[in-house]
Amino acid sequence: MVVNINILVEDLERQELEAPLGVASPQVYAQLLAIYLYYKDLCNAKFLWKRIPAIVKTANPELEQIWMVGKHLWTSDFPSTYRALEAVQWSDAIAEIMKNVQLVVRTRAVDLISQAYSSITIENVANMTGLPHDLCVQACLEKGWRVDKESKIVYPVKPTPEPLAPPSSEDQLYKLTDFVSFLEN
Amino acid sequence: MPLQFMTMAQNVVEPMQVDAPPEDNDNNEETFYVVENSTLDLEAYANSYTGLAKIYRLIYIVDHCPSLRLEALKIAISYIMTTYNVNLYQVLHQRLADITSSMNVPDVAAPSASQDIPSIDNMWIETRLKKAALKLEKLDNDLKNYKGNSIKESIRRGHDDLGDHYLDCGDLSNALKCYSRSRDYCTSSKHVVNMCLNVIKVSVYLQNWSHVLSYVAKAEGTPDFSESQAKESNPVIFSKLRCAAGLAELATRKYKQAAKHFLQASLDHCDFPELLSPGNVAIYGGLCALATFDRPELQKHVVNNGSFKPFLELEPALRDAILKFYESKYAACLRLLDDMKDALLLDLYLAPHVPALYAQIRSRALVQYFSPYMSADLHRMAQAFGRTVPALEDELMRLILDGQIQARIDSHNKVLYARDADQRGATFERGLVVGKEQVRRARMLVLRAAVLRSRISVQSPPREQGEGTQSQMQPVSSVTRN
Amino acid sequence: MASALEQFVNSVRNLSTHGNLRELYDVVIKSSDVLLKNVQHLDNVLETLDVQQHSLGVLAVLIAKFSVPNASLSDNRFLQTQEFISTCNVEQVRSAPDLFAELCHLFTNYLVETKSPIRGIALLKQAIMRLKYLSENQLTSIHADLCQLCLLSKCFKPALQILDVDIVSICQEIPHANANSSQFDAKYFLLYYYYGGQIYLALKNLDRALYFFEVALSTPAHAVSHIMLEAYKKFILVSLLLHGKVQQIPKYSSKVVLRFIKPLSQPYNDLTNAFVNNNVTEMNNVISKHTEAFTRDRNLGLVKQVSSVLYKKNIQRLTKTFLTLSLTDVASRVGLPGPEDAEKHILDMIDNGQIYATINQKDGMVVFSDEPDKYSGPGVLKALEEELALCMEFDNRILAMDEEIQVNPQYVKKSAGLQEEEQPSKSTYAL
Repeated sequence: MVVNINILVEDLERQELEAPLGVASPQVYAQLLAIYLYYKDLCNAKFLWKRIPAIVKTANPELEQIWMVGKHLWTSDFPSTYRALEAVQWSDAIAEIMKNVQLVVRTRAVDLISQAYSSITIENVANMTGLPHDLCVQACLEKGWRVDKESKIVYPVKPTPEPLAPPSSEDQLYKLTDFVSFLEN
Repeated sequence: MPLQFMTMAQNVVEPMQVDAPPEDNDNNEETFYVVENSTLDLEAYANSYTGLAKIYRLIYIVDHCPSLRLEALKIAISYIMTTYNVNLYQVLHQRLADITSSMNVPDVAAPSASQDIPSIDNMWIETRLKKAALKLEKLDNDLKNYKGNSIKESIRRGHDDLGDHYLDCGDLSNALKCYSRSRDYCTSSKHVVNMCLNVIKVSVYLQNWSHVLSYVAKAEGTPDFSESQAKESNPVIFSKLRCAAGLAELATRKYKQAAKHFLQASLDHCDFPELLSPGNVAIYGGLCALATFDRPELQKHVVNNGSFKPFLELEPALRDAILKFYESKYAACLRLLDDMKDALLLDLYLAPHVPALYAQIRSRALVQYFSPYMSADLHRMAQAFGRTVPALEDELMRLILDGQIQARIDSHNKVLYARDADQRGATFERGLVVGKEQVRRARMLVLRAAVLRSRISVQSPPREQGEGTQSQMQPVSSVTRN
Repeated sequence: MASALEQFVNSVRNLSTHGNLRELYDVVIKSSDVLLKNVQHLDNVLETLDVQQHSLGVLAVLIAKFSVPNASLSDNRFLQTQEFISTCNVEQVRSAPDLFAELCHLFTNYLVETKSPIRGIALLKQAIMRLKYLSENQLTSIHADLCQLCLLSKCFKPALQILDVDIVSICQEIPHANANSSQFDAKYFLLYYYYGGQIYLALKNLDRALYFFEVALSTPAHAVSHIMLEAYKKFILVSLLLHGKVQQIPKYSSKVVLRFIKPLSQPYNDLTNAFVNNNVTEMNNVISKHTEAFTRDRNLGLVKQVSSVLYKKNIQRLTKTFLTLSLTDVASRVGLPGPEDAEKHILDMIDNGQIYATINQKDGMVVFSDEPDKYSGPGVLKALEEELALCMEFDNRILAMDEEIQVNPQYVKKSAGLQEEEQPSKSTYAL
């Protein structure tokens, strides 16, 4: 998926620039906008939205619906983001991307919760993940988080950062030599 | 004769402005305050000073302490009558009239008080003015004669006498002029130093502190008066110069410098009532030292300073405060200082700096209090410093951000934890910052070399260029967040 | 008249075949009047020339076509320019950088006027790359055009490839400049750095934006340009956003700039004062007092960002002083309305890696912690290596520049004269 999207994004950006008379097809705009959201590249999403000609926007209300998602992401308003994502039956061209947008937003929310909270209400977890209560509790338990059903509070566990693969020693030696020779001259 | 009178009267107008300095000098942020009850022994206080120093200090008390107001005015008026300062006499009477009239209205018991209230003596004013004018004319003539005979020493003295007279009349700017003029006729370094002292005196009255400092430097720079010998050969002058410099540094908020100057004075040779009293030296020096010295400095220059000790004996409360501080009994120290505060707030020169000095002393106490601990209970600490816990948190926050205390506050459990400095992390951080800066500078350097090589330079008048480009400069208001 | 045109075509063909570029350039320059007078025949002229073989000739014709208010005939200029940029002979065009730049400016203006700036982005970028300005890290005035088109069309990403390259030399676009006059129009230099800064700003690359504004600000000057003034205002705001204080203006900036620019941007100075004192109320006062000025400068959005950063800055100050703090305390200490706002700000900052903290919703507390694993592990090593490599690269470049100066005959002559005196250090020449 990611590899495909990378190629797709370049292609779409090129198509937009080379569009005759500077106006690309609505599908190009829609896909590009959705992909920017997928990457959480909100700056570029915002400016893309701003430069789409008004005629195209009015003719294709779906564009605005996509942007609404971006707008809520911009203000980190999780509940509205999910609502905006689920309110629409996305057209085929972007349905797949939008589904992934929802997935990454949720993943990011879960990461954020585990990083930022030592205790949090179930209510808040549900808001941030866009999941209904019971599903939410189940998901928390699956992640190994303690859930106190009485007080309705979840105790998330901090993630352990994955260690980066250490570079090969040969490579390191090479670089070190480089530095030393630089510093000595 | 009438002409002389006129010019005289014009000149006298000037001292009017000098009344005001306590308010309009560099302490603008100082809000007007009033000291309600003071235990000050006004008589004794006034007797420690002479000349304008006495008058200015009394006026300051009149301005800030209602309970002593009447008393202070009376002393001031009776003193001013020994001088030629007619103008100030009128001003003081005006103040007196204002006060008594406001007192008389509600107060029935007033008559008894008003019995010994002096009334304005117009006869005195007239004769004084005449006498002053006569004396001025005589001195002027003398000086002309001396100049005709061109005897340097006489001319110098003539200028000095004239300066003295102007000072006596309260005409500071002319006094300053006369004293400065005598400079050209100085024939020995003693004369030069004398001239400097005169100028310093008037500059202090005028609160022209940079002038004070430069003339202190000038006096000390005179040959035969190098600092090394001065202390032995001319102890009075040496002490006087130190104190004048200290006062100037204090007034310009350089407290540490001020402390160093004051601490060099010696009590046996501290006799200049027209400037400061020995008690002033003790307090100014002691407080500045307490506010700015670290523990070893305090020990060396204050606690174990043989020549300054006698000064401190004059102000036992301050001495005790310093000793308590030194013994780490901060609460007692701060209590003593608080007790002294009212008296200090009536001091013309110190009052504007009392809040700043006290704040610095508190900070220093907090830092020293915590220095031996790994963790400290905020409740107990607040008790020791007589503060509420939230107020203490605020104070600590400022100190931590300042880098004066290496610690963090656990506001939940109200504990202050010392934080061991992460040397390695700090080094890394610094290294990376320096590296980034280096790259940035190198990048700029390469670019700038290219710019200079191409001789790029903005030339055309800005207006024209502005118009040429403004239309092309496309605003990007869209940068705004929405 | 037709004969004059014929003559032009013939000389272009002749000289192009013999590869006599110098003479060809002169011919082309001299014929601009002839071309302008015969606009109606220019398409015919183009037909007789081959874009690749007679690039300079075509270039001159295109310039003439753009210089005249559009002829009545159908407008084929976009397509012709497109063909020219994609297929022209690089060597020929590079011999006339002034003409090529002029064409690009005219083309840019044409797109601005026809309100289709986005159509030019790919082309100008291609122009810069085809003519190898990019690979030589050379700045041309076309750079400024590209940035302008990107800004106008709100399409910034394509410009990054150009902007990210550090400029090492500047194209000599003003021909026959004598020893003292400029070889490059300062206006385009300023515009490039000002526009570039704006693009980086829009894409939230503040570090780079600050650098660009700083360059614009410190350009040698005998007068203060409006661009510099605007750059200064943005410089202040970005500085506050990025560093929380105003960075010093480089010492080598021109005196006129230092003298005039500050008094001209009083609202910004006021804002800075309130900001560095961490005073939220004061800052809001300044903002409402100067709203008009900020709006006029089109900086209000940035100013608002600055004001929201102050909250964050104050929270960061808290992390340095507190281990734990209740959310209510956080709110009251940084001047936010309530604990919910404080929680949102903190969450945001954790998300962006600006602070390390854990929120405890049960007790309404927040625990501030130090960065975990600060400066350890292979990640740091890698970052360090990259930084070092960058330093080395610049060092080498500077050494090379130094060498160039050392062997410059003029320098040798001059320094030989000074031999007995102090040896001039290389820095005197570098900056």
